[in-house]
Amino acid sequence: MKKQNYWIPLYHIFLLAAIALLPSCYSVRLISRDGIPEPDYTNNSQDFYKNKQVHVLDTTIRLKGPEGDFTMIQNCGSGGFYSLEYRSTLGGVLLSAITFGKVRKVKVKYVCLKEGS
Amino acid sequence: MATTIKQSIGTWDTLHENGPFPTKNLFITSLESEGNIPSVTDRYNDAAEEIQRLLREALSLGQGFRAIGSRWSLNDIAHQRDNLHVNAKMNLKKTIAADEIEPGSSFQPDYLFFFQCGNIIKEMHNFLASKGKAMHTTGASNGQTIAGCISTGVHGSALNTGSVQDCVVGLNLIIGPDPQDNVYLERESQPVMNERFVQSIHARLIRSDELFNAALVGLGSFGFIHGVVIETEDRFLLKRYVRKINKDLALELATTLNFHDSLFKIPGETDAAGHGLLPYHYKVFINPYVTDTDYVIEAMYKKPFQQGYPDPIPAIKKSIYRDLILLFTKIAESCQNNIPKLIKLLEKSILPPPDLEITGTLGEIFWDAGYQGPAYACSVGIDHRDSGRALDVLVKLAKEEGPIPGIYAMRFVKQSKATLAFTKFPVTCMLEIDGITWTPHNNKMISLQRFSTRMIEVLKANNIPFTLHWGKNADWSFPGLVEHMYGPNAAAWKQQRSSLLSRQQAALFSNDFLVSTKLDEYVGNVPV
Repeated sequence: MKKQNYWIPLYHIFLLAAIALLPSCYSVRLISRDGIPEPDYTNNSQDFYKNKQVHVLDTTIRLKGPEGDFTMIQNCGSGGFYSLEYRSTLGGVLLSAITFGKVRKVKVKYVCLKEGS
Repeated sequence: MATTIKQSIGTWDTLHENGPFPTKNLFITSLESEGNIPSVTDRYNDAAEEIQRLLREALSLGQGFRAIGSRWSLNDIAHQRDNLHVNAKMNLKKTIAADEIEPGSSFQPDYLFFFQCGNIIKEMHNFLASKGKAMHTTGASNGQTIAGCISTGVHGSALNTGSVQDCVVGLNLIIGPDPQDNVYLERESQPVMNERFVQSIHARLIRSDELFNAALVGLGSFGFIHGVVIETEDRFLLKRYVRKINKDLALELATTLNFHDSLFKIPGETDAAGHGLLPYHYKVFINPYVTDTDYVIEAMYKKPFQQGYPDPIPAIKKSIYRDLILLFTKIAESCQNNIPKLIKLLEKSILPPPDLEITGTLGEIFWDAGYQGPAYACSVGIDHRDSGRALDVLVKLAKEEGPIPGIYAMRFVKQSKATLAFTKFPVTCMLEIDGITWTPHNNKMISLQRFSTRMIEVLKANNIPFTLHWGKNADWSFPGLVEHMYGPNAAAWKQQRSSLLSRQQAALFSNDFLVSTKLDEYVGNVPV
């Protein structure tokens, strides 16, 4: 009699769950207490960003050699940032872990401060 | 020089999605950089030239042109079919020097500030705080532009203070493309700025109480508001209390405003003899569908500014009794836009527990209000002595001809001198109904349009004199509405508008809202 292998379906379930979890994410948003967001009255999104001019950074950074620290420079006028939302995904965390931090997925949404405010 | 981006948009909508409204073009003007034009006044004048260029273009095409502020109004008052202008990036601000004040003026230069049209209330708070000053009052939040606020009569509940427009003592309007179309208005009885200041902004000085008061709440139709001179005061703190009190007591305070002899007392907010002090702000929250023995009230007392008070923003952020629509959406969040379920919830729910006591500046207490989704708001102005009667009538309307998904509040505002200010009574009670928009056919309910019409009809039937908030939902085409609300002031307003603008300019700054209310009428042969 052939012995049943219970591990195969369980393995499939685990794999499916892992694939499903890869894009799962959470986000953290920082906002300036006294800042005024750069307005965009054509932005009709149904959320926090309505009326605000939104910039999105969605990229993958590949570091070379011993480079561990990395800075992205964004132009936000003379005022600076009003809000910044960082999104983290399981896939991004795994990618960074597998590549020892050399490949990093970056998904950031930010709003600049209103010029002259 | 200042530059403008033109976008063909097809339709335009308000923040709370009360449209959409058909629109050809949206213009967004940005100032020249400080590096290229360091002088604030020179940059201001450079922006004026750009606005005049846009007005010339619109006039040459026989089109209209209006600024939209932060699009916070809940109707089409800001809208214009041809050209809408975003002035938010026109946000220069400056202090006033002693040598810019008219000799003999009663105003102190340290308390006067000049703000360009696109400054929103929050940036005005910040700028004034950096000078140790504060506005007298604002609305319940801080995102409106100053030009939008005064055009529509934005108010708080400062019962001894007035509305935002009542802080304004000078108005710079651009009424057309030519040099003489840049005008600076003041009251003749209250001169503020001298000829030197007026010349520095390349404007023509007009001092007239009648014209100034008419243009103050000008509904965006007296020209392009380019800048305002506002009077401020020393910065102060507000101590805010939210309490549940007996309904009869809350309404007695509303109709009498007699806090001195009332049983309502807050420890620490009484005089030496134990009588209640008059609050800076008084507001009553009402769920019209529940016969509750208690109402929630919000009272604020003015205190001298002192440093070292706890940061109020974390508590303000959690507070739900800040803004009526915020409170309503918090109550409604469990219903996921299911209107029948929401109505059932309203019919059995009492208002949430009161918030904590909070102390902060005006700008902190009325901090950012996030977008709450598609919403409507109706707001009726009545003499505060009629507030109990008006509440009965409008609650009855909601119960018998509704329900509608909304709750009520009452705020109290001192009389304004503006000709068409809806705060026209000695102390006006603004009775507000806020909620989320609904589809009447799907839910077999009364429509917002019909409810708005019935509001006017029942107030008239009960002989309650009233006004309506210019920036909110109402049946604005109700026959004879403006004449009924304002009597001879309606004609006086049209006359002043016609004395300032040519017929062509009046058409330039007109819109569908003005046509609906018949306020677009041009009065010919008016002495200038």
